[in-house]
Amino acid sequence: MYRLYLLPTMIINIVIILIPALLTVILAFYNWDGISTPTFVGIDNFRALAADRVFWLALGNNLVWTLIFLTVPMFMGLLAASMLLIVRRGSNFFQIVYFLPVVIATVITARVWQGMIYSPVTGIFGILKRYGLPIPNPLTQPPMALFGVATVDLWHWWGFLCVIFFAALRQVPQEQIEAARIEGATYLQMMRYVLLPGIRSTITLMMIMTVIWSFLAFDFVYILTQGGPAFSSDLLSTFAYRKAFYDLNVGQAAAAALVISVFGLVSTVFYVRIQSKEGEQ
Amino acid sequence: MHRRTVLKAGFGLASLPLMSRFGFAADQKPVGFWYESATPENQEALQNLLIDPFNAAHADELLSIDFRGSDLDKQLRIAMLSGTGPDVVLTAGPSYVASMAQAGQLLALDDYAKKLGWNERVLPLFLDLGRYDGKLYALAKTYETLGLFYNKTLFATNNWNAPTTIAELEALAEEMKGKGLVPFAAGNADWRPANEWFVSIVLNSVAGPENLYKALTGAIAWTDPAFSAAIDKLAEWWDKGYFGENYFSLTLEQAFAQVATGQAGMAPTGTWSFTNVPTYFPPNNAEPGFVGFPSTSGDPIFALGVGSTLSINGKSGNPDGAAAVLDYIFTDDFYSKMNSEWQGEWNLPLTDLSKVKLSDKVVPLYTETMKHLSAAVAAGKYGYTTWTFLPPATDTYLVSGIEEVWLKKTSTADFLKKLDESFKQERDAGKAPAIPSRA
Repeated sequence: MYRLYLLPTMIINIVIILIPALLTVILAFYNWDGISTPTFVGIDNFRALAADRVFWLALGNNLVWTLIFLTVPMFMGLLAASMLLIVRRGSNFFQIVYFLPVVIATVITARVWQGMIYSPVTGIFGILKRYGLPIPNPLTQPPMALFGVATVDLWHWWGFLCVIFFAALRQVPQEQIEAARIEGATYLQMMRYVLLPGIRSTITLMMIMTVIWSFLAFDFVYILTQGGPAFSSDLLSTFAYRKAFYDLNVGQAAAAALVISVFGLVSTVFYVRIQSKEGEQ
Repeated sequence: MHRRTVLKAGFGLASLPLMSRFGFAADQKPVGFWYESATPENQEALQNLLIDPFNAAHADELLSIDFRGSDLDKQLRIAMLSGTGPDVVLTAGPSYVASMAQAGQLLALDDYAKKLGWNERVLPLFLDLGRYDGKLYALAKTYETLGLFYNKTLFATNNWNAPTTIAELEALAEEMKGKGLVPFAAGNADWRPANEWFVSIVLNSVAGPENLYKALTGAIAWTDPAFSAAIDKLAEWWDKGYFGENYFSLTLEQAFAQVATGQAGMAPTGTWSFTNVPTYFPPNNAEPGFVGFPSTSGDPIFALGVGSTLSINGKSGNPDGAAAVLDYIFTDDFYSKMNSEWQGEWNLPLTDLSKVKLSDKVVPLYTETMKHLSAAVAAGKYGYTTWTFLPPATDTYLVSGIEEVWLKKTSTADFLKKLDESFKQERDAGKAPAIPSRA
């Protein structure tokens, strides 16, 4: 009888998440322009994607994006969190400062970086150019466009990891830290032997979530470059968006979305495996 | 006692939004109109010049406009799919009309056109553009063209004349480069599709409208040498640095302002930029000039663009009301009043502009240009813009594809080949907009 308590959230989940997800999976095998009736085409959409140079470009960019986000913000977050742990005074203030970019709307962050930092006319890069340091706007150079956008997203994201890691670090038993300190451990030794092993499950979770979220990355690319210039910063999500709403080819967009989901699924499987192994220990 | 009062108050508050349904007299029929984005001044203009006078003149209709922002076309698509949506449908152009008409989402307007006299009031070409399968589905709300803006004051100082041929244009551009000016003020930072303005310009001025007509009707392929020459010319201008080094960083407005401040010599852009003239030219003590874009022969080419169209929802609950709104809009009285406040977006394709009187606030150059354009179109002397005459996926590819050509990621031949494939596919699927025959 008490299982009926599950019903409200189950209904919401099924209607808002499960049914649209299933529809997307089904649509990946249909040809639909979003306006008329869909026609079944089997795996034609996937064949078209495999033959599309831009799809492979976007997939490559997603892998690069994942690699960037698995390393840089993790490192920055751990460093800052361990600093916050060691230097307790002012930790609240710094937590707020680091977390602030996470709460600012992505559109605003993107426009500020585009207009006030990167712009060679109205931004800091423009001022630097006037003082003899001509750094090109990364958003306009195909080899650098993805990194330019990733920088903005990193600025927006690393504070989140910092706060999470700080919370996890605070759970590490005080006795272990005290013991290490008494034995004369340096900062690096403290990190390596006490702190990092202590928060290993949090780090694992954040890495898996980073992989999943990286494949979902969309807003900053869409606002700053729309995948350009010349498709150089295109991600699978902007690719799918363009296919669905501009090319009126929902079938291919759904197929691209499936590819994104496969990566997410693989990561989830890994995570569940690691979790169950840890549980057994 | 306390809880009941709170409950009653809550009920009262909750029913407030529902009260609006009883706000109008029972016999007033609502007419819904979804618009895209508009500045507060322009929203006020719509309120004062369209909503209030219309509602006053039609006591049994209640028009209301809902500003949906730049996401309008996506919201419309979803709403129309589910059978809801506004009565008056604003779309971004004929290529969207084709798909919607094909799916039966729009109402055929032929009866209203005959009854209300639209066939006489609207230029015949635009009636043709709004037809699908022989029936009229959309009326163009604004038509526009591409050309060359320039700083008349700067030209006078340097003894330059507005170019009429491509050769003159290139010579002038070299001179400007020599003086440290940017020859073509341009920027796509906030509107990437600005790329297709320049593609449209070269396709019309170098390849020519006749060839474009042939390609759009399928008589020749897009890989024809005429088009390779056009795209190569555009790539050449890019390589020579005519577009400046900040093309990807400048917004449309920033780029246009450069012409007024004298940092750039000319701006190849469209008549929609007239809206920026009053903001930038007077403060810089500069006089604006506008000519049709130069061509190989020397005659200016007016590439025709339809900025947006108006239709009636196929599932509308009040089609007569929607038709009355369209009827109200397509008058020279409305044209005069609306264009006096808001230039560029309401250039209705009326047959007779003789009675149109614009306020003194409007730059005379704008009125002149629109009259030239109207005459050229009426005489059949027009070109084709890519956003109006190409089907959607082909047009979308063109925007990013030309960047690939500019940045040397692909060759002109490959670009045109992919364009041709996409065009053929969409044409076969019935997604291509109507191409009226040339005079």
